[in-house]
Amino acid sequence: MATEARVLRPQQIEARTIGRSILLSLPVALWSVLMFGHFWQPDRAAQIASVTTAVFMIALFFMMMRTGSTYRWRRWFFVALGLLFPVGFIHTVMVMRGTMGIPIEEMIAGRTPFCFLPIPLLILPAALTKTVVFPGSILPGGGMSGGGMAAMAGIWLAMTIVIGKGWCSYACFFGGIEEGMAAVPKRAKLKKIDTRWRYGPWAVLLAMVLLSLALFDSVYCMWLCPFKAVSEYVAARNTLGMVQNGIFVVLFAGLVIALPLLTKKRTQCAFFCPFGAFQSIFNKTSVFDVKIDRTRCSPCVLCKTACPTLSLTDESIVRGETLMSCMKCGACVDACPKDAAVWHIKGTDVAVKPERARLMFLYAAWGMAIMFGGGTIAGGLATILHVFV
Amino acid sequence: MNSRYISTFLGARFLGYLAFAAVAWELGALVSLPPAPRMLLFGAVHVSLACVLLWYAYSAGHGCAHACSGSELVTIGATKKRSVAGPAALGFLTGLSLCPPFVAAGVRAAGLGSVAAALLFFAVFFVGTSIWFVPFVGLGCVTRNEGVTTVARMAMVLIALYYGYLGLTMLFGRKVYGY
Repeated sequence: MATEARVLRPQQIEARTIGRSILLSLPVALWSVLMFGHFWQPDRAAQIASVTTAVFMIALFFMMMRTGSTYRWRRWFFVALGLLFPVGFIHTVMVMRGTMGIPIEEMIAGRTPFCFLPIPLLILPAALTKTVVFPGSILPGGGMSGGGMAAMAGIWLAMTIVIGKGWCSYACFFGGIEEGMAAVPKRAKLKKIDTRWRYGPWAVLLAMVLLSLALFDSVYCMWLCPFKAVSEYVAARNTLGMVQNGIFVVLFAGLVIALPLLTKKRTQCAFFCPFGAFQSIFNKTSVFDVKIDRTRCSPCVLCKTACPTLSLTDESIVRGETLMSCMKCGACVDACPKDAAVWHIKGTDVAVKPERARLMFLYAAWGMAIMFGGGTIAGGLATILHVFV
Repeated sequence: MNSRYISTFLGARFLGYLAFAAVAWELGALVSLPPAPRMLLFGAVHVSLACVLLWYAYSAGHGCAHACSGSELVTIGATKKRSVAGPAALGFLTGLSLCPPFVAAGVRAAGLGSVAAALLFFAVFFVGTSIWFVPFVGLGCVTRNEGVTTVARMAMVLIALYYGYLGLTMLFGRKVYGY
């Protein structure tokens, strides 16, 4: 069986023909047209943004099919998402509120925009007291809360069940900024990283869950979220408010800008993000994962070097698997010169048709990326285009 | 060993409860302290707890690293001898931590007819709140895992920083949130 599988592998990793790549991209093209095909809308800027986004997403998927590379093309989408989300979001809050600072009156009124980051912090208080410790709206109609917490939680759950921590590579609208920063330098200046920092997200998650439960407050959002620096911050009315905002800015500058530039890693995701730690648990429920085919591995540890979140160690390579923090970005698969790092569907042999596993994962992940991230990209793009069109 | 620390912690916490009950009843007026001194007391307790947590986080990383002995987190605060001073101090301090329900219970104790009634009231209050510590007795084995101890130490630092901050804002009479 294993021999048969090895015979099959080389032809699967070859670049596809243009025709075959187009054929494989057709479902994605159809989905993109369904999601962004509002060609009749009167807003010309939004029209152009929708068409551009659809073409962008289809083109990237086509290149994934054509070249067999995942990470390289996914990164374009992810960086675009990370850069355009703040553009659209800040524009919306400025139009609706006139400021990026959220005042206490808005929180009391339950009009705080909800993102997915506090989801793990809300579970215990909700389970124990039936109380949502976030000053937002559960259902639509909460002003800046947009679709409400229920919609966000629903989208998160649907994606998480299927792709597990792949959320952090195909849906998170924050991670793209640091991925972009990490891509800037040719080589890492800071190469030695104490691997114990990998436990950071779990520590932040534990501390935030306990504090949120004890204080009945979304403590992470109030004190530690680095992305407050590029979305909305506490409307500071005294020194302590300034301290809170100072923490946001310092964390953003350090974890999202400086450290990715120095290490070429997604440092905020790897060492800090509590949502990422929580999401790691769902890698156990997702059917997709990345494996190391031990029959092909040299081991050169290029995969370990390429991993942006330190999710591969010498021990895990020997075991033929990634750590549970793997966010399925595909960097290790692209980096492996022996094609030993492979996409895999749980319950199947590691060596059997990994390209088929990659295709199945990408259809699921890219479909959701178009739906969730694509809308955000189109929104940000439309905001910019409104200046010119 | 783990149950010994838990019981020491709970015993010291129980003593803290009884001490508070006796003081609350004897003085009666403790809960009617003017807001400023009461905030100072609250702040001092918060800062003390933060310091203890930071000490644990630090000492857990500077003890015996033998695989057989597990993490020093198991022997909270004791670097060489299996001292119970750490859990006892933490238990006593948490026993005096003036959270709102605790203060409410203190008000009730202050109004009771005798010191025995006040002590009994706090003894029952202690039993009720101690149930939440029972699951921790069986968790000693997980501390052999380096990841668990590292996560615990990092989380201790974060929580200590937050409580230290709360304590300092109380001591200096500032608002907690900057609205």
